[in-house]
Amino acid sequence: MKKFITINVNGQDVECAVEGRTTLGDFIRNEAKLTGTHLGCEHGVCGACTVLVDGRPMRSCITFAASLDGAHVTTTEKLGQDRIGAVLREAFHEAHGLQCGFCTPGMLVTCRDILARHKNPSEETIRYELSGNICRCTGYMNIVAAVKLAAQRLNSDEVK
Amino acid sequence: MSKNLGVGASLLRKEDKRHLAGRGEFTSDLDIPGTWEVAFVRSPIAHGKILEIEAPAGFSGHFFTHDDFPDIKPIRSIPETPGFRPSSYHCFAKDKVRFVGEVVAVCVAPTRGEAEDMAQACFVEYEELPAVVDSLQALEPDTVLLHDDWEKNSFIETSLDVGDIDAVSASAPIVIEREFRMNRHSGVPMEGRAVLTYWDHRLDELVVYSSTQFPHQIRAGLAQHLDIQERQMHVIAPDVGGGFGIKNILYPEEIILSALGMKLDHPVRWVEDRREHFVSAIHAREHLHRIKAYADREGRILGVDADVYVDAGAYSHWPNSPFMETGMVMKNIPGPYDFRNYRARSHTVATNKPPIGPYRGVSRPAACFTIERIIDEIAHAVGKEPFEVRMMNMVKKDQMPYRTVTDLLYDGGDYGECVRQTKELIDLEAVRERQKAPEADGRLIGVGFASFTEQTAHGCGEWVTRGVHVIPGFESCTARLMTDGSLHLLVGIQSHGQGLETSLAQVANQELGIDPDRVSVRHGDTSISPFGMGTFASRSMVMAGGAVARACRTIKAKMAEIAAHMLQCKPDQVSFSDGALHGPTGASVTLEQIGHAGYLRQDGLPSGMDPMIEAVETYEPNIATGVFCYSTQAAVVAVTPETGAVEIIDYAVVEDAGTLVNPMIVDGQIHGGVAQGIGTALFEEIPYSDEGQPLATTFADYIMPGAAEVPHIKIGHMCTPTEHTEYGMKGMGEGGAISPPAAIANAIRDALSQTGAELNETPMTPRRVKAAIDAAQSKV
Ligand code: FES
Repeated sequence: MKKFITINVNGQDVECAVEGRTTLGDFIRNEAKLTGTHLGCEHGVCGACTVLVDGRPMRSCITFAASLDGAHVTTTEKLGQDRIGAVLREAFHEAHGLQCGFCTPGMLVTCRDILARHKNPSEETIRYELSGNICRCTGYMNIVAAVKLAAQRLNSDEVK
Repeated sequence: MSKNLGVGASLLRKEDKRHLAGRGEFTSDLDIPGTWEVAFVRSPIAHGKILEIEAPAGFSGHFFTHDDFPDIKPIRSIPETPGFRPSSYHCFAKDKVRFVGEVVAVCVAPTRGEAEDMAQACFVEYEELPAVVDSLQALEPDTVLLHDDWEKNSFIETSLDVGDIDAVSASAPIVIEREFRMNRHSGVPMEGRAVLTYWDHRLDELVVYSSTQFPHQIRAGLAQHLDIQERQMHVIAPDVGGGFGIKNILYPEEIILSALGMKLDHPVRWVEDRREHFVSAIHAREHLHRIKAYADREGRILGVDADVYVDAGAYSHWPNSPFMETGMVMKNIPGPYDFRNYRARSHTVATNKPPIGPYRGVSRPAACFTIERIIDEIAHAVGKEPFEVRMMNMVKKDQMPYRTVTDLLYDGGDYGECVRQTKELIDLEAVRERQKAPEADGRLIGVGFASFTEQTAHGCGEWVTRGVHVIPGFESCTARLMTDGSLHLLVGIQSHGQGLETSLAQVANQELGIDPDRVSVRHGDTSISPFGMGTFASRSMVMAGGAVARACRTIKAKMAEIAAHMLQCKPDQVSFSDGALHGPTGASVTLEQIGHAGYLRQDGLPSGMDPMIEAVETYEPNIATGVFCYSTQAAVVAVTPETGAVEIIDYAVVEDAGTLVNPMIVDGQIHGGVAQGIGTALFEEIPYSDEGQPLATTFADYIMPGAAEVPHIKIGHMCTPTEHTEYGMKGMGEGGAISPPAAIANAIRDALSQTGAELNETPMTPRRVKAAIDAAQSKV
């Protein structure tokens, strides 16, 4: 049994019939053809597949697409068009916050959410907030540094 | 002076842009029309005979077993080591299964979901045999045999006896006798394995995309196992989401997908799920060391006697056998220490578990754990600070180059100074001061050190002595100046996070003065670059960097001649910088002018010169035994005695990797390595039940270190350039992962020094720490 749904992904309506078992992650990758959202564990732990659903971070690998008819989804591809997201990308580059790049899409989405909620997060807060995203390459040092750098830039922006 | 963009510059990475934009291209991202997906039927039992494989009617053409591919050769890795018992690892299990997760059949369907549905509908009947899950039990005479034609469950036994350990044991005043265990775990890259294959009719070749660390070796390996000429194999490693050694073997799944790609008239792809990864990708370590170490009353090590057991799983894989782990641990137990009496016996044991293979550090985390725990126990026995005993026993600077008791040739450096600098960085005095008063929260504070040497970038000779049958002794590069003066570097190496697209471009800048933004590094594609061995053994920057340097120098000589011709000077008067070639009078020609002449206007070349500005070169360091990076790491931990919980509150690393090409990338490698080492130390384990069932198959049971568990890591660098490589580089990619288990165990020992509790087994979970505390207290 398939269900006909429409999900708005990065501003575009994607309409199709999905099986009940189709996850949002598969929907984004296979139907919306956006492969920036990575599937690292497919059981909701590693965080690589994190996307924003109606503005809130969610694990697309354990969220069923059929339950999100009418929702607005933002994936990593769209972050460049968002002030926090764009600053974060730059900060990840400058702080060497990525190596293989596989966890990066989910990291960026989570970090965007951290900075949307915390103006000046401490190292402890950043590490706590990142605890749902696993990175196997960086040891997190430079991801934490990137979030700090981005926070600093966003704050100095506001002062200007 | 223009800004340094060459060797020594922390240049930001060229590879970041695509990943940050969500435009990386991993194997699962490929969108090739007509691709069908694959799901494997895997053994649910650890050991048994296959009686019958039954697929529902209608599966024909979509379902394949050994009988459909009888000609695929089994994987047999036979090192040139006498006495080795080779296993026949059939890509599809034939007659018998030997671990949970072994491939029995494969299903092909338009989508992954449908393929998985099919796999679930298949029925396989087994006659179960007892499972062999413990390396000591495996060697008992009445234990069932995994491989019927072997006389015991052992790939190989070896021994080593240098000096006179019996004389030492008869007279040494201090004897430390311990058992050390490093349990089975794995590298667990965030991207699992993935393979996509299809027959390209235009080129009449099989295209194989695989998430692998060594595409050229895979090409050779696939050709050897399938009935196909190597010229018709095209292997591509696109973006690869981490490897750490786990993607450094030829997998049965790669061979099966290739066979399917040859048989079917559409592309096929397999994207592994996480459970498959835990049960069928290679595992690592699983060491048991039984040690007797001898010292004098000053704490000087007199000798070590070791029995080493490595639980190698069911099969030996291609190209390296599991003996690499065992052989290396025997050689590395002596670590950076100067002693001349050493005896070791090794057992590479076969059990009903997945094969073990390389994982960052290969055997050295276990070797380091053993010797560094021993150093601390000697220190406790003679009543000295462990760092003092460490420094006292280390190979001294004036002994370099130093040949160890196991015949490793340490090429240079100041090991003791490295310990001293680490002690400063971790501020040992402050920790000792803090320990004088109880902590407000009741936790116990401890500090521990661990040092190691890391053999890197070893050449042909070293691999020959290890008996491997594929010798990764070199790397290659084609340097090609384009008509507009931009540059292609086509390298046989593969980069999956190490940043080689950037650091190799820096080498080109160093040689040619070309802006790294005008350099493309192409890797991971067998049809683009000359043959190369791939990324492992901390070799890539030394080996591929050396090859790039040589290829650039070859075209540089030709470019200088062209410039001299244009500038009316001598070639040796031409200097290269800022994208141009400068003559002695201040006149210059641009790289573009050189490229233009080289291809499009040959009339601008000196007479008699051949067109084209391109060179292919290989490189091997001038010392076959490798160059040794060395390091000391220190951890400060807080232990909660009631629960056994351990928190790392400070961490320091001092390392000497010689000349650093890109210090930012080097530090990133250290961070990542240390985080993985912390996983080994405290969290990661793949235990098996007595029936051979894996007990860690999800990230709920296999705990990966997260941002909250990995501390801020302080790094210090020493720099002793080696004379044996280009620019004095040494490899360093694995080192970070080697020390943490030992440093943390020593820190816990220090924290618990009142009770005398010791942790000699990893991971040091709260349960094990608590048990050690309880055991120590019950002795009091
Ligand atoms: S950069 Fe490789 S997993 Fe995070």
